[in-house]
Amino acid sequence: MATRTKKHLDIIFNRIERTQSFYVWVSILVAVSGLALYAILMSLIYSLEIFEFSAQVIWATMVSNYVFLVVSSTGLCIVTSLGHVFGMQRYELIGRRGVFLALITIIFGMISIGAHLGHPERAMIFNLLTPNFLSAMWWMGTLYSFYIVFIAIEYWLLARPELIERSDQAQGPEKIIYGIMAFRQLDRLKIGPVLKNHKLLQFIGAAALISGLSAHNTLGALFGHIEARPLWHGSYYPIYFLLSASFCGYALLLAVSIASYKIKKEEIPEDYQSLIFEMAQVLALLLSAGLLFTAYKMGFGLFTPEKVKPIMLFLKGPFSQAFWLFEIAIGTVLPIPILLWATKQKNIIGVLIASVMVLVGVYVMRYDFVVAAQVYPVIKNGLPSYLPAFMEVLFIGGVLGALFLTYVLGEKFLPLKEEHHH
Amino acid sequence: MNKATKNIRRRDFLKLLAGAYAYATLGSPGLAGAQTTRYGKLADTTRCIGCKRCMSACKRWNKLEVERNELVSDRETDLSAQNWVVVNLRADAKNVTQRIYEHWACQHCIQPACAGVCPVKAITKLPMGNVVINEKKCIGCRYCYQACPYKVPRFDFEKRVTRKCHLCYDRIPLLNYMKPACVEACPVEALSFGYKHEIILEAKKRIYKEKSGRYILGLKEAGGTDMLTILPTKPKDLGLVVAPQKVVNHNMDKLRITGAGFMGASVLAGLMYTYASLTRKNTKDDYGNPDKETS
Ligand code: SF4
Ligand code: SF4
Ligand code: SF4
Repeated sequence: MATRTKKHLDIIFNRIERTQSFYVWVSILVAVSGLALYAILMSLIYSLEIFEFSAQVIWATMVSNYVFLVVSSTGLCIVTSLGHVFGMQRYELIGRRGVFLALITIIFGMISIGAHLGHPERAMIFNLLTPNFLSAMWWMGTLYSFYIVFIAIEYWLLARPELIERSDQAQGPEKIIYGIMAFRQLDRLKIGPVLKNHKLLQFIGAAALISGLSAHNTLGALFGHIEARPLWHGSYYPIYFLLSASFCGYALLLAVSIASYKIKKEEIPEDYQSLIFEMAQVLALLLSAGLLFTAYKMGFGLFTPEKVKPIMLFLKGPFSQAFWLFEIAIGTVLPIPILLWATKQKNIIGVLIASVMVLVGVYVMRYDFVVAAQVYPVIKNGLPSYLPAFMEVLFIGGVLGALFLTYVLGEKFLPLKEEHHH
Repeated sequence: MNKATKNIRRRDFLKLLAGAYAYATLGSPGLAGAQTTRYGKLADTTRCIGCKRCMSACKRWNKLEVERNELVSDRETDLSAQNWVVVNLRADAKNVTQRIYEHWACQHCIQPACAGVCPVKAITKLPMGNVVINEKKCIGCRYCYQACPYKVPRFDFEKRVTRKCHLCYDRIPLLNYMKPACVEACPVEALSFGYKHEIILEAKKRIYKEKSGRYILGLKEAGGTDMLTILPTKPKDLGLVVAPQKVVNHNMDKLRITGAGFMGASVLAGLMYTYASLTRKNTKDDYGNPDKETS
């Protein structure tokens, strides 16, 4: 008890100490998010066209950003489920940070796609009123809505014990705020003990995982169904998306948690360190599987007549640099030896670097996946450039900035740390 | 019974009839192909002189914007939210002296891929044959554009909805027998409109009379479409985008792909379970409850 109180005092002390840099961070991120708001405002005043680098590539950066974020969210859900759904104790350490990240990535993913839609307000109404059960997009929107609810409850259940603890230890307004966040009144009701039961958490976690995987599946199917886009069509992407979600989840969790400790110059708890190295190994394994999948895709694509042209865009065409340098080298091949080496040397920074590389590779991969598929069959002679427009960059930067800002605030005010509670 | 109620009854009956046809069209593809009260449009590129009157008639009827120079003859135009029909010069790759004007608009597929993917059912195939986007319902996701084998539905960046030719459903032939604006405007009868089975017969008659090599686009493409185009030669030689000769985005195909994904997801869950059970430690969890599997 005494040590814990001391730790808590330390945290509070740290907070005061770091106020300055914290405010600098927050103001930078607020400014970046402001740019996104500016971009949205301009799109409302002028036309949605400012978000398109070509009217022929009708899904571009906002869609790929959405795909990146929601796939990461599913990945995080997969990784954290290993803990409280499949009962691996060591993975329970990362439960709160992982689930919190899953929650905010899906929310900002939805914001990204919301700004891309012509009429997001209608989407909510008509999704309910006139559902098209044959449309993967309908299923995706609906299942992700369930997923958001489950994952939010999951985080709340995970954070509740510590929120209660914090409210016990704090004074004044902080005590009240944490008390409200934990819904302390519920403890007095019959539901109180139920909330503390691990079974409930397991159940909600399983619901989140099932809805998340299904939603994710329909996201893959959304692209897979489109027969008119040879690159997307087929059952490859729904399956590959599951794999890439897994490595994306691992990489994002590793990168964010390690960076958080390093930036705050805090010691990483002993048991989390060993988990980091285990996760690094799993990540290396998943990346190797990903490499096999990509080789299969490209190899077999060359034997399917209608897929040859789109595939050549990657191997030799305008996307070759992004493909070979970012997707293959930075995103998949190089991180594997770095991860293995870092695990052997017990080098945390190595894991951090490799995870960030994976994330960069995956981000580029999502962009290529969305944009390159739209070249055939209509854009006959190719476009001069496939880079996003300036306003798109502003918007995406802003969304990622706002995501980061939410994380920084969450890291400061919510229980995310990798510690066990008793 | 007075006249007014009789009229209403009659309208109700027509509605019921339309509903039955809608059911037949959506529920049973076999029936949809066979029914005789469906309309079709025929474009004969061998007759078209490239005057683009259909384009301007379409714009006038549907109140679309006219862009600068686009109605000039021989100027290449692309379908857009304001251009629901375009007329472009195309040359035969095998015989360069052979040039045609191609009247191009939505093909009004019998089983439209666009309607199948729209998440909010904003696109309907009417029993008369028209494939119509409800612009008050469209959420602007542009999924229909991706799914359409001809890339017809175009996004309107100002209205924020997707728009395309609706085969003039608002000049409904059933009520006043008005032809679509483009068909009405054509000075050389390159466009015709009528019952689908008659239109098919007419098209076949025309290519039968003429020398061989002519091709009717839309009999088999995308599983059959309610707009037919007579081409002097194979569409590939003219550099046109060709849809496969089967229903695009067939429901069974969708089911297969989704099913494969769910199988993948189950495998993933299985792998997670294996990973967990191989390495799980036999201890108590955070909350002091014994682990489910170990208790
Ligand atoms: S041509 Fe395209 S837009 Fe027209 S009905 Fe067929 S799929 Fe829909
Ligand atoms: S853009 Fe509109 S009509 Fe097309 S699929 Fe989306 S909601 Fe349906
Ligand atoms: S049928 Fe009507 S809407 Fe379609 S192209 Fe002709 S005039 Fe335009």
